[in-house]
Amino acid sequence: MQHRILCSPSYSLLEVALEAGESIVSEAGAMAWMSANMQTKTSTRGGMLAGLKRKMLSGESFFQNTYAPEGGKGLIGLTSGSPGDIVAYELDQGELFLEKGAYLASQEGVKCDTKYDGLKGLLNEGMFVLRCTGTGMMFFNAYGDIAEVDVDGEYIVDNGYAVAWEPSLSWKITKGKKIRSFLFSDQLLCRFSGTGKLWVQSRSPRTMSNWVYQYRPVKNNN
Amino acid sequence: MQIDVVEKGAFQYALVQLDSGEEFISESAAMFRCSANIDIDVTTKSKGKGGLLGGLKRMVGGENFFFSTYSTNDGRSGEVGIAPTLPGEIKVIDLDGSMKWICTGGSYLASTPGLEVDTKFQGFKGFFTGEAPVFVEVSGEGELLVTAFGRIAEMNVPPGGLTVDTGHVVAYESTLKYEIGKAGSSWIQSFLAGEGLVIHFSGQGKILTQSHNPSGFGKSLGPMLPPR
Repeated sequence: MQHRILCSPSYSLLEVALEAGESIVSEAGAMAWMSANMQTKTSTRGGMLAGLKRKMLSGESFFQNTYAPEGGKGLIGLTSGSPGDIVAYELDQGELFLEKGAYLASQEGVKCDTKYDGLKGLLNEGMFVLRCTGTGMMFFNAYGDIAEVDVDGEYIVDNGYAVAWEPSLSWKITKGKKIRSFLFSDQLLCRFSGTGKLWVQSRSPRTMSNWVYQYRPVKNNN
Repeated sequence: MQIDVVEKGAFQYALVQLDSGEEFISESAAMFRCSANIDIDVTTKSKGKGGLLGGLKRMVGGENFFFSTYSTNDGRSGEVGIAPTLPGEIKVIDLDGSMKWICTGGSYLASTPGLEVDTKFQGFKGFFTGEAPVFVEVSGEGELLVTAFGRIAEMNVPPGGLTVDTGHVVAYESTLKYEIGKAGSSWIQSFLAGEGLVIHFSGQGKILTQSHNPSGFGKSLGPMLPPR
């Protein structure tokens, strides 16, 4: 399997070239184009319960698609719903945590499951994060630019800007140190600690939605 | 202090390295990442002017009510990442004390502590710009970060003046004078051209414009959303 990330970082698209016998798994709806010999298999991957969990708990799609070329090589372009960056990450019997909605695609050797994050998750993007384990390439995406941060000790990310992190990092929700900051600003922060890599996006979909909100039509009650 | 704008693509952000004892100021909630030794203090004050009234005036100006001030708390250096809301570029403007800059429509993002961030009521004509009737005036010595929706173009206003659509002004030097006017030769023509109101700039000075109009984009998305 060969991959290229095109038009990075603003309008990234993942192009995957597959040899006969190879395949790639993606979230439903991520396929932009593909060669005609590509066979699509749609399944819940891991059963009904896994699909439900994925959909209900971690904001990913209920179904996942598996693409495999028939009778030779195949090419496929995968992309996410929002403009932004895509990061390739290789798992070797490893583990990576993804924020809700950040999963784009992976090789078949990578399993995705949801992990309950306790009540601290409720304050963040949701109570569950996506836990990817196994061996193979995986790809995640975000709205905006993605920066890689090498954390050694502690690092703070505003609520909703963390995209992915290695399992060697633990995190908790904190607030601004000064009570005034907490009261008057939305300083709910994620404090990551440990040693490992963290990926941060440069824009927040939620902030963007809040901005669009002011342009919604006003309900007419007549 | 070192300010780097990460210009990799359409979603630019600023990374600011702070030495011990240094401070950096941004509109509140613009911080999206920082090292663990950063203290965030939220006030209505920038240098000098401020208080409740300043905050209220800034709100009318389409800015945030509060400023956040960042400093390190352990005698070491630290970093702060600043991101705006919309996709687009960030530009750093050097102020040497001889020139003031005016920011319109929420384009103020952050500044160094030597700068005074004040609000300036634009009077009656301000209401007709289609933008907020209060502009943000930045003076003093230091670096100012402005944000825009899309690309930022910097130009000198030519001798004959420059006409800019109300939604495309980011910031300009205070030596410039402006007047609200119509784009076409008559009001009807102006209206039919979809341009409506424009700003005529005259005098000597620089102006920053943005390639896209935020409220134009908002108005194209709004009707697709359920009513509030």
